[in-house]
Amino acid sequence: MSRSQLIQPIRHSLLRPLAPRPRNAFIGSVTRSMADIPKPEEKLSSLPGQHKELPVPFPMTNELLHQDEENQVRLPRSVQALYLQPLRREAEFGVPTCDLQLRSYSVPNLEFFCDFALRAAYYLHLPAFGPVPLPRITERWTVPKSSFIFKKSQENFERVTLRRLIQIRDGHPESVQIWLAFLQKHAYYGIGMKANVWEFSKIGVGKDMDSQLPSMQEAIDEKMKHLGRDKVADTVEKVKELLESERFRHRGGPGIPAYGLSHGPQKVHEGT
Amino acid sequence: MSQFFRAKKLDLGCFINIKTIRDHTKRKVYAQYEPERQALRYIIRNTTLPARTRAEAQLQLTQMHCYTRPTQIRGRCLMGGKGRGIFRDFKLSRYNFRMEALEGNLPGVKKASW
Repeated sequence: MSRSQLIQPIRHSLLRPLAPRPRNAFIGSVTRSMADIPKPEEKLSSLPGQHKELPVPFPMTNELLHQDEENQVRLPRSVQALYLQPLRREAEFGVPTCDLQLRSYSVPNLEFFCDFALRAAYYLHLPAFGPVPLPRITERWTVPKSSFIFKKSQENFERVTLRRLIQIRDGHPESVQIWLAFLQKHAYYGIGMKANVWEFSKIGVGKDMDSQLPSMQEAIDEKMKHLGRDKVADTVEKVKELLESERFRHRGGPGIPAYGLSHGPQKVHEGT
Repeated sequence: MSQFFRAKKLDLGCFINIKTIRDHTKRKVYAQYEPERQALRYIIRNTTLPARTRAEAQLQLTQMHCYTRPTQIRGRCLMGGKGRGIFRDFKLSRYNFRMEALEGNLPGVKKASW
């Protein structure tokens, strides 16, 4: 396949920039209908390299192709798919398992990444729905243009956060995790992602989880270290230290009272 | 005393000013003494402890340096060190916010018209 043929669809898209496009189409491309893709049966006869292997019903010719026939040679399916709407899997039960929210300040980036996420979901056999455009968040600020006495002339600024929701239904929790990890690995600039994941399991999950806890503890701790506050204020130790200190002991008279402080200050309220 | 808390080497990346340096020092001192403050507050409020201990804790809390109080911390403009009229979202004063927004340094912030 020559270079001009590979570029052809791109050229098409450049020639038709004003064509109306569905809102979730791949930016910079033109969606073509299925009729545009040549059927494989027609193609086999026109591909020059494959003529010799063809079975008898096809004409065995060694001639060069006509100019117009040559133009009909199709792109590889995987490449062609990039110019089409992302494919989708069918959900059998329609039970939501993952809600992915994407946020950005710019539309093209967001649309592009939504498209990417949908394609990734298709190849992971995940039925994906969306992208649903959620209400945009508009923040506005008004500031005086110069010093305070010129309050009459002000300027407005705004920041519009665009949001898209992609929902996965009937996804296996493991493949959902893989999908999320893949999106995180190939994270696009200027796009924030957050995901709500739901898992469904049999009755008696609590016992299962309890039995798994000792082996999981290390991995959980490893992860939790990076979440929330990473430092513990040693208030408990400080309380003990203070109550045992010289200053408190002299004032307190009989020394440290038996308030069960060895179990930490939380126990103090129980009284002994 | 407050000189004693200040870092010997400059450890700030924003607009430098005695006020920003002071504010930065206060933040660090507060973080350092937070467990002690919380411990004393706990002892003061714990009614099961003897009154003497609690009074002692009160005394000790009032004797702590003012830099260890969270109320001393104030948001300051990163670009100009101003102490009033700071946007929390950007940590900038209104003038510096306008300058940065017009230059396009704040992601997503545009001139609005509606």
